[in-house]
Formats: sequence, structure tokens, C-alpha cells
Amino acid sequence: MAVYEQLYGAYEGVPQSALSRFLVIPRYALRDIFKSKLVTGMFLVCFVYPLIAAILVYLRHNVNAVAILQIDILELIPIDGSFFRTFMQIQGAFAFLLTVLVAPPLISRDLSNNALPLYLSRPLSRTEYVLGKGTVIAAVLSLVTWIPGLLIFFFQASLAGTGWLWRNYWIAGSIFLASAVWIVLLALIALAISAVVRWRVVASGAMLGIFFVPGAMAEIINNLFLTRYGSLVSLWATMNNVWAGLFFLFDRNSGSVQGTVTNPIYDKQLFNIILLEPPLWAAWAVVAAAGLICVWILSRRVRAYEVIK
Amino acid sequence: MTTNLAAKAEAVSNGHAVLEPLPADRKIVFEGVSKFYGEVLGVNRVNLEVSPGITSLVGPNGSGKTTLMNLMAGLLRPTTGRISVLGVSPNEPELLFDHVGYCSQFDSFPRGATAREFVEFYLRVHGYSRQRTADMAHAALERVSMTEAADRKIAGFSKGMRQRVRLAQSIAHDPSVLILDEPLNGLDPMARAEIIGLFRRLADAGMHLIISSHILHEVDMMSDSVVLLHNGYIVAEGEVHGVRDEIGEHPIQILVRCDRPQALAARLFEHDHIVEARVHDDRGGLFVKTRRPDEFYLLLNTVIVEQNLAVESVGPVDDDLNAVYQYLITSEGGQH
Amino acid sequence: MSTSPTENEMQQPSLSVHGTGYHGWALWMRQTLAILQLELVKNFWGRRALLLYLIAALPVALVSMLSLLPPDADEMRELGRLSQVFAAIYGGLILRTLIFFGCAWVFMNLFRGEVVDRSLHYYFLSPVRREVLVVGKYLSGLIATIILFGSATAASMLILFYGLLPAEASAYFLSGIGARHLLTYVGVTILACIGYGAVFLIVGLFFRNPIVPALLLYGWEWLNFLLPPGLKKISVIHYLHSLVPVPLSEGPFAVLAEPTPAYLAVPSLFIFTGVIIFLAGLHIRRMEISYAGE
Repeated sequence: MAVYEQLYGAYEGVPQSALSRFLVIPRYALRDIFKSKLVTGMFLVCFVYPLIAAILVYLRHNVNAVAILQIDILELIPIDGSFFRTFMQIQGAFAFLLTVLVAPPLISRDLSNNALPLYLSRPLSRTEYVLGKGTVIAAVLSLVTWIPGLLIFFFQASLAGTGWLWRNYWIAGSIFLASAVWIVLLALIALAISAVVRWRVVASGAMLGIFFVPGAMAEIINNLFLTRYGSLVSLWATMNNVWAGLFFLFDRNSGSVQGTVTNPIYDKQLFNIILLEPPLWAAWAVVAAAGLICVWILSRRVRAYEVIK
Repeated sequence: MTTNLAAKAEAVSNGHAVLEPLPADRKIVFEGVSKFYGEVLGVNRVNLEVSPGITSLVGPNGSGKTTLMNLMAGLLRPTTGRISVLGVSPNEPELLFDHVGYCSQFDSFPRGATAREFVEFYLRVHGYSRQRTADMAHAALERVSMTEAADRKIAGFSKGMRQRVRLAQSIAHDPSVLILDEPLNGLDPMARAEIIGLFRRLADAGMHLIISSHILHEVDMMSDSVVLLHNGYIVAEGEVHGVRDEIGEHPIQILVRCDRPQALAARLFEHDHIVEARVHDDRGGLFVKTRRPDEFYLLLNTVIVEQNLAVESVGPVDDDLNAVYQYLITSEGGQH
Repeated sequence: MSTSPTENEMQQPSLSVHGTGYHGWALWMRQTLAILQLELVKNFWGRRALLLYLIAALPVALVSMLSLLPPDADEMRELGRLSQVFAAIYGGLILRTLIFFGCAWVFMNLFRGEVVDRSLHYYFLSPVRREVLVVGKYLSGLIATIILFGSATAASMLILFYGLLPAEASAYFLSGIGARHLLTYVGVTILACIGYGAVFLIVGLFFRNPIVPALLLYGWEWLNFLLPPGLKKISVIHYLHSLVPVPLSEGPFAVLAEPTPAYLAVPSLFIFTGVIIFLAGLHIRRMEISYAGE
């Protein structure tokens, strides 16, 4: 008679809800991320500008402080949509640098260690896996974009009173939306690169290249062809237009020249030329197209098996 | 140097050639070698001399086998101590690797390479001509029975095939010292026997083979000597049976198949060197643990005559490497 | 005891004699050439080469577009104006961005890429001086980048001039100063590959995550125009800018500095590269193989 010693028993506890199951990935990944001194240092640097912004808001409303510092109150920057757009531009740049450091190992490490089959053989779908990895980036970037942005917004509202809040309540929505679009785009691009490139450093390099090389291209195209449409090849320039739209500051004529300017390429004086920015919908279309391409790459690359040709 | 080890091995095994003993400075020597990875111990205070033949490094994962091999090959640098491989420091790869081959555990290959390209690839780096490289690569692939798959991409190979390709790469330049980190991993039983045969032939031709493994019965089968490692320390070294003999205090277990094991047990317990006696489950034999096997065998003869026992067989049941290893790494045997 | 010379040789190998029968420089040359050949195949045909081709194709695509769709046809149909336009494309795009990122990609991959692929140990287990390995790999990166970016530079210039001024272009290149300009631009490209190549080779060797130093270097090179004259000299771009045939204005905020004459700029770059390669050789001699954490 065969005697079977039953040592293994299936888990009989209550399983975690399917909706929150993907959160197991960020729970561990976030812990790992902040083990890096470089990331932690960079993360701290990201709070320098919010601190400056908070001081500016404070000074704007503190007559005593302005008097002690002998500052003309008119010289202080007004706290309005433009102030928060600038906040977004600066924090957006920091968010990009943080993504370059944080995101590349997320999927590439799993790919190079053949860990994907391990994840996907659990009750975790490919979408949940990507969502889990994306949540890591979203969590880190939220801490340096919309969360401090909203804190400063409400700080200003508390000092300026309900009148200001009533007139500018839309800024809170703009801060959140502008951050969300940027975070989603950065997360998708970073994860897609990370899924294509197995080496985290190459992935970081590719991430930099994707923003810097088209940026330089856009500048050259704009100056060579005397246009502003070259900006559409640069994700950074495109995002700036999207942000401008969200803060109701978008102006298609912003590239036009009033008076005289020297074109660096043709080395000649240009007078009163009209250079229209590409329409806002084009900027949104570029952002959407970039996101969709990333989703397509992720759907191709995040698989539990590898095809060897 | 135009040696062909396979041919030599054949000549030796056929008795057509006689090997001279190697001079002492042709050994692999570790003198007080320690390696720390930051605060983590790799190996500590290793003093070792390895002679030609097959020397196996045995130990569980993390015991320091790979570290010792990487130190020997210069892939790691010792924190303290000195290593010499046939009189050459591992810091001089240009001298060392003309005579040393290392089949590491890293299961990785240059992207997109076929088995032949892979072997030829690094032979070219030695400086050999294209034709010579092709010949040597072919011979090496032939030795590991990989000629049929030689022109296929390695990425599509099974683990065993990849292991063979790495082995071919490490022996392609006819080294005098071959370092093999878990070389039998992923091989099927037929291939294992074949590769062990190859190792034996190479060792018989006077080559140093340093093999790491934790599959003990294979080590037992093919090794001339063993080095037992545990937690970065060498706990024993020498010939397989020699190591065993040196552990005087470790009781050896012997099974005596006889008709009246209880009577035998009662008589044996009168003597101090008998540590334990246990009747076999089928009541047809007795397991005896003794510290002095020679005395036990003399005593057994006496008892058989006295008690008129019908003895079917007598033999040690744990005189293999596994038993030695188990003994040495336990707290009572470990000598840290 | 019958011991044939061959057997004796096997048992007591003479470790001072290399198996190939070559020694010293002859052996190093053979090994360098072998490494060069192997690495060139990777640099040109490996998967990572795709990005390099893409980067090199960008200026060619841009000038082709410009030739087909010039924004101001009349203004563009003048040799002096075209020289200015090409100088801007070269300085702003090719030199500062494409060669920089292309060299970063190729040269950082030479060693870091092998560490990632976990195949560097095969080189380290070959009887080759590690310094020879550095030289062989560096030369392979250099040849790949020079061929690609040199061709991209020449092709961009030729397409721009022949596309917009087909009649004057032949005279300009064959009997005018065009050929000299073309050769100078290609020469500057070669020097850029030599200088940036050496920098990124050592960055890839020293740093586990070379992106941060590469980013800092990019910032340093871009902001070179703002640096005081003394600091300008601690950069590759300063020497290259001194050599371009059509100097470009660096803008109203630039801190002006005397360009370094060619007889100083070129040897300086070579000396700088030599020092870097020497340091890389020293470093690799002590390098350990650890694939953990990659």
C-alpha cells in the first residue's frame, strides 16, 4: 500500500480582493526604490522649489516680512494660473529626472531575471502587473507634483481668503490634471522602454534620449523652417503646450515676433513675423499617440513567455 | 604549444605513454586566501594545494565553491592571501589563460551566437589564425558531442546543450588546468556519464581538473581528491577515503546481515568502541556504529565463531562522501 | 621513461610561451585585431546598433527635408547662407546632441553592455592583457562611430548643398573651399568621437549607473558657453568649437573666450584621450566580475 505524506496544503485563508491585488507590486517596489541614496537625494531635491514657492506665497501675504526684507510687494510674482504653470514646468522637469532614476529597473529587471512567468503564474493579469508597476511611478511622482502643488494652492487660498479661492478654484483641477497627464505619460514611456530594454542603464539612457534628441531636433526644425510646428516632435515642448492649455494660458501666437529678432541659423534680422504654435488639439494628439504606442509596446513585451527565433 | 589532450589521454589509457610526475611548482596553491564581499564572507583563511587529477570542491550553496574558483581564475581578487596557478598569479591573465580553461556557472552567451561562433569567437581572441581556430573549435565541439548542433543559435538550446557548449569553449584551447563550476548541471544521465568519462581521460593525461558540485555520488565516483567547504571555510581535504580515515572520532556504520542480530548486539555492547547497535527493520540484520572499524571486524570474527551466527553479508553503509560531508558540517564535526 | 617532447610540453607547460607562438607586440596586435573584428560585428549588426543608425540618419533626413522644402527658397540659394545653415545644424544638432548621445550609447555599452549580458567574463578568461581588451574595444567603438557619424556629417552637407544649389555645389566642393570645409567637419566629427568615446568608455567602466554622470556631462557641455574661459577648457566641446570652419554665435549670454588654435586643440584632445584610456587600462586590470544587481 502506498502511503502519501501530505505535507503541502493549499492556502485556505481569505484571498486579497482582485481589485487591490496589484498593490503588492508597489508595496515592495517602493521599499526598494528608497534604498538608493541617489534616488532619495534626488527625491529631496524635488522639494526645493515647492519650498521656494511656499515662501513666495507666504511673503505675498505677510506685510511685516515684506517690510523687514525691504521688498517691493509689486516685485513679487502674482499667485495665479501662471505661477502654478511655472510650478508645473519646474516640478515636471524634476519628475522626469526622478522617473529616469526610478522607472527603468521596474520591468527590465524582471525581464532579465526571467521573473515575468513567476508573476504571471500567480493570480495577476498582465494588465494588473503593468498597473502595479505604473503605480510605483505614479506614487513617487505624485509626491513631487500635484500633492505639493495642491498644498501650495490651499496655502495660498487660506492666506488670500475665499474670494481668491472662488475666482481661482479651477487652478486646483488644472494642477491635478496637468500632473496626472504628465505622470501617466512618463509612466507609460518609462515602462515601455523598460520592457524593451533589459538593461536599466540603457533604459535610462533611452529615456533621456527620447526627450533630449527630439528636443534638439525640434529646436533646429523650428529655426530652420521658421515655424513652431517642429515642437510637435518634442514631448517636452508638446507637454508645455498641454499645460498651457490646462491653465488657460495657451496662445498660438506666442512664437510670433514683435519687432526685430536675430534668427540663430540664418543670422539675420527678422521683423514682425507670425509663427503660430501648433493647435492645442495637435499637442493632445501627440501625447495620446505617444501613450498608445507605449501601451502597444507593453502589450507586446509583457508576456509570460519568450519567443526565440 | 601544440598539445592535444584527447590524443594524449588515449595514449595514456592505452599504455603508450608514461607521464612524469609534475614538479611541486606546477600545483595550484592558495596561501591564506580570504575573500570578503564587503562584510559578507566569501571564503576565509584558505590554505590549499591542488595536484593534477580531479579535485572536487564540495559544499552546499553559499559555501564558497564558486568564490574559490573565481579567485583561481582572477575574476575576483582576494582580500588577503596569495594564489598561484602553476606558478602564475591570476592577475596575469595573458599568461594564465593560455593554460587554464574555466567553465563558469554563468549561463549566458553573446547574443545571437551559434555554438561554433561562440567557441571560435574567444579562440580568435587568443590570437589563433582563422583556420586554426576553426579546427580547434570543431575538435572541442566534437569532444562534447555537439557537432550536429554546432551551427544552431545557442539561444534555442536546452540547458544541457548550453552546458556542453560552455564546456567546449573552456577546453577548446587544450588547457592544462580546467576549472568547472557545476559542470554536470542540466545534463541527462547519458551525457553525465559521457562527460565524466571525458574528465577522467583528461585527468589521466595529467591535467588539473577542479570541479565543483553538490551531487555527491558523482563527486565520489570521479574525484581523486575532495575539498569540503562550509560557510567559506575548508572543513576537510584529501582523497575521498583518506578524508574519511582521518575522521577518527566519527563512528562508521556497518550493516551485518545475520540470523540472530539480537544476540550479536548483546555481545557487541560489551566493548567501548561500539557506539550504537540497531536491529534492522526486517529483523534480519544489525546496524552497528563503531569508532574503530578494524577492531570491530576482529571482534565480529570472534563473535561469529562463539555464537555460531549465520552471517550473510557485512559491509559499511555510509562510507561515501555524503556521510563524511554530513558529519563534517554538523556542529559536532565542524572544525571552524 | 619514455616521454615524447609533446607530452613533456603538456605536463610542464612553459607559461612564458603563448599557445599561438606569438609574443609581445605581435601577439597584442593579433589580439587587438581579433577583438576589433568581433566587436565591430556587434557594433554594426547587434540589436543595439539600431538606435545608432537611427541617430545617424536624423540629420540626413532633416537636410533632405530642407532641400525638398526650403522655407525661403531665395534666401537659401546662396553659398554663404547655406554654410551658415549647415554650421547651425552641425553645431546644434550633430555635434552637441547626436554625436554625444551616439558615443554615449556605443562606448558605455562596450563594457557595461557585456556586464548586462553577463558575457564579460569570457573576455576576462582569455589569455589577453586586459589593457589590450580596452584598446580593442575602444577602437571598435571608434571605427563604428566614425563611420556612421562621419558619413552622416558628409552626407548631410552634400545633400544640403547639392539639393539647394546643384549648379554651384560642384564648383564649391571640387575647386572652392567646400572640400576643405567638408573635410574639416568630418575631421571635427572624428575628433568628437575620439574625445567623447574615451569619456564614455571610462564612465561605463567606473559607474554602475553611468546615466547620472552622462547627464551631468551633457549639462556641462551644453552650458559651456556660460562658463568662464578657464573652465571652458575642461570640456570636449570647447576644443571642437575652436575647430569648426564656420564659427557660430553662442548667443548674447555667452562668456567670450579665445578659441584654442588647432595646433593646440587637436593634440590636447589626443593627450586627454590617451590619459583616459590609460586610466581605463589601470582600472580594468583590477576589475572583478560581479553581475549581481545589474
